[in-house]
Amino acid sequence: MSRFELSSVEVDIARQRDQLRHPQSGGYCAFEGWVRNSNEGKEVDGLSYEAYADLAVAEGERIVAEAMARYGVSDARCVHRTGDLKIGDMAVWVGASAPHRDEAFRACRYIIDEIKHRLPIWKKEHYVTGESDWVACTHVYREHEHEGHDHHHHDHAAPFVPDYSRQIRLREVGEAGQAKLAASRVLVIGAGGLGCPVISYLAGAGIGTLGIVDGDRLDASNLHRQVMYDARDIGEYKAELAARRVAALNPAVNVQVWKQPLTARDAVDVFRQFDLVVECTDDMRSRYLSSDASVLSSTPLILASIYQYEGQMQFVAARPGTPCLRCLWPQEPSPESVGSCALSGVLGPVPGVLGAMQATEALKYLLGLPQPRAGALSLVNLIDLSVQHLAIDATQGCEVHGGCVEVARRALDRLSGEDDIDLVFDRLDDAVVAGFQLIDIREAEELACDPLPLAGAMHVPSAQVVQRADELQEGRWLLVCASGRRSGHAARLLRDEGVPQVYSLAGGLNALRVAG
Amino acid sequence: MTVVNLQYYAQLREQAGVNGEQVTTDATSLRGLYDELRVRRGFSLVADALKVAVNAEFSSWDRPLREGDTIVFIPPVAGG
Repeated sequence: MSRFELSSVEVDIARQRDQLRHPQSGGYCAFEGWVRNSNEGKEVDGLSYEAYADLAVAEGERIVAEAMARYGVSDARCVHRTGDLKIGDMAVWVGASAPHRDEAFRACRYIIDEIKHRLPIWKKEHYVTGESDWVACTHVYREHEHEGHDHHHHDHAAPFVPDYSRQIRLREVGEAGQAKLAASRVLVIGAGGLGCPVISYLAGAGIGTLGIVDGDRLDASNLHRQVMYDARDIGEYKAELAARRVAALNPAVNVQVWKQPLTARDAVDVFRQFDLVVECTDDMRSRYLSSDASVLSSTPLILASIYQYEGQMQFVAARPGTPCLRCLWPQEPSPESVGSCALSGVLGPVPGVLGAMQATEALKYLLGLPQPRAGALSLVNLIDLSVQHLAIDATQGCEVHGGCVEVARRALDRLSGEDDIDLVFDRLDDAVVAGFQLIDIREAEELACDPLPLAGAMHVPSAQVVQRADELQEGRWLLVCASGRRSGHAARLLRDEGVPQVYSLAGGLNALRVAG
Repeated sequence: MTVVNLQYYAQLREQAGVNGEQVTTDATSLRGLYDELRVRRGFSLVADALKVAVNAEFSSWDRPLREGDTIVFIPPVAGG
C-alpha cells in the first residue's frame, strides 16, 4: 500500500487520518505545512509546486518507511501538493500513529524534515509585486515553513554572517589569525564528554573544516556531561547530531562525518587530510591508534582523558625529538586497569574542563601562540583545583626502541594483522549458528544484573581468560563483554598466546541492544 | 627512615581514599615504597602500570628515596 502521495487537489485529511487507525495505536500525530504570505522579506500571494513525480513518489515512500522502521510507529502517511496554491492552503500533510505519543511525534518530525531535504519538488513563489521566482525547497525548509509558526523568525531570512569580533579583538588573533583559523582543518575523534566542548568551541571560532569521528549512538546516561545533545536525540548517531549542532551554531564551518571508528588501515590517510587532531574518545586503543597515526602522518595531536574528578592532557607535536603517547606509556594498559565513565563514574563538568583545555590548546596551536607546556603531561585535579605539569623526556621513551616512527609503524602493522578480530553480529544466536562458542568475560556482578540473552555460554572473567589459552586451541571462540573493549583486548592477548580462532563481539552487548 | 610526601591520582586516589599523605618509610627506592603502599593501601595496579614523578619530574622506579621528596603516582586513565 502506498503511504506517500502527490496530489494536485486539496488533501482529504479525514480519509488520511482514518487510514492510520489501528487497534494497537494509542495516539495519532499530524503535521500540516501551509502557504505563508511572505518569504525572505517579500510578500507572497501564492505559489506553484512542480515535482519530478516518479522520483518524488519513490523517495517519499522511502522516507515514510524509514520513519516507521526508525521509530517503530504503527503506521505513517504523507501527502504533498502539486500545482497552484494560495495563502493558507495546505502544502504538505504528515501523519503517524503509534502505541505511544513520543514515537508518533518523532516520526512526524522525521518525515517532514526529510521530505523538505530530499524530495525533488520545486516551488515557484508569486509575489505581490507581480514577479515570481523558483525557490529551492531545502532552503525553504530552513528559513520559511519549518519555522513558520514563530513570528520572530520572519525577519531572519538574510544569510547568517558569523561575527568573530570578540576574538579578533585579541591582539594575538586579529584578522590574520582569523584567516588562519578559517583555513584550518581539525579532526575531532569522539563526540562525547570531551568532544562536546572541543567541537563547540572550534565551530564557534570559525575553523574552516571540522572532521567528526564517532561510532556510538547517544545514550541517556551521556546527557549529564555531553552538553551538545538533547533528551530527544537519544538513539541517534553522535557524529550526525554533532554535525547538525555545528551547522546550527556556525553554518560557515564545513563538516565531515565518520560514523565508524578509524582503523589501523585508514587512520594515517585520514590524519593527512587535517592540520591537527583532537583525541576525545574514552578508549585507550583509539588513543594509541591516534598517537601512531599522528607520528606517521606528522599531524599534531591533543590527547586528553578523565577519571572521576581528574584529567590528563598531552600535546603530541609529531616532530622528531618530541614525545608521543607511547613514550609516556610504552605498554598499552588493559581496559580493566584504566577505568571508564560507566564503571568508575564521572562528574559532568570534568570532561567539560579538560575538553575546554583541549580546545584552547588547539586554537593556540593553529594561531601560532606559545605553548609552553607542550610536551608535558598535564594533570588536572578538580578536587583541589591543582594543575601539575610533568615534562616527558623523549630520550627515555620510544627513542630506546628505535624512535616513535619505527615504534608506531610496528604497532600499526600488528593492528592491521589483527583487524579480523572484531566481528559484528546483530544477535548472539547468529554467532552460535555460525559455529562460534561464546565466552562471557564480564565480572560476576555484571552477569548477575544483566544476564546473557541465551544459554550455554562459558563464563571466564577477563583477567583470567588468558590463563585458559591452552583450552581454547580447538574451536572458534567469540568473547563477549559490555562494550567490546575488554573482549577485544583479551582476544588480542589470546592471539598472542597462539590461540588461532578467537574473536571479539564488536561493540559488545550494548551494540546488540541497539541493533535489536 | 625517610619522610616523604605522597600524592595519589585517579584509581590510586580512589583506592586510598585520600589525595595524598605524608609517610615515614624504611623503603630505600620508589619501587620498594610503592610495594609497601600496595600492601597497606590495597592498590590493585602494579608499579609497571604506573608513572612515578619525584619533585615534579618523571623518575625511574629504582631511584633512591630522599628526605622530603614529593612523590606522585600516576595511573593511565581512559575516560572521555
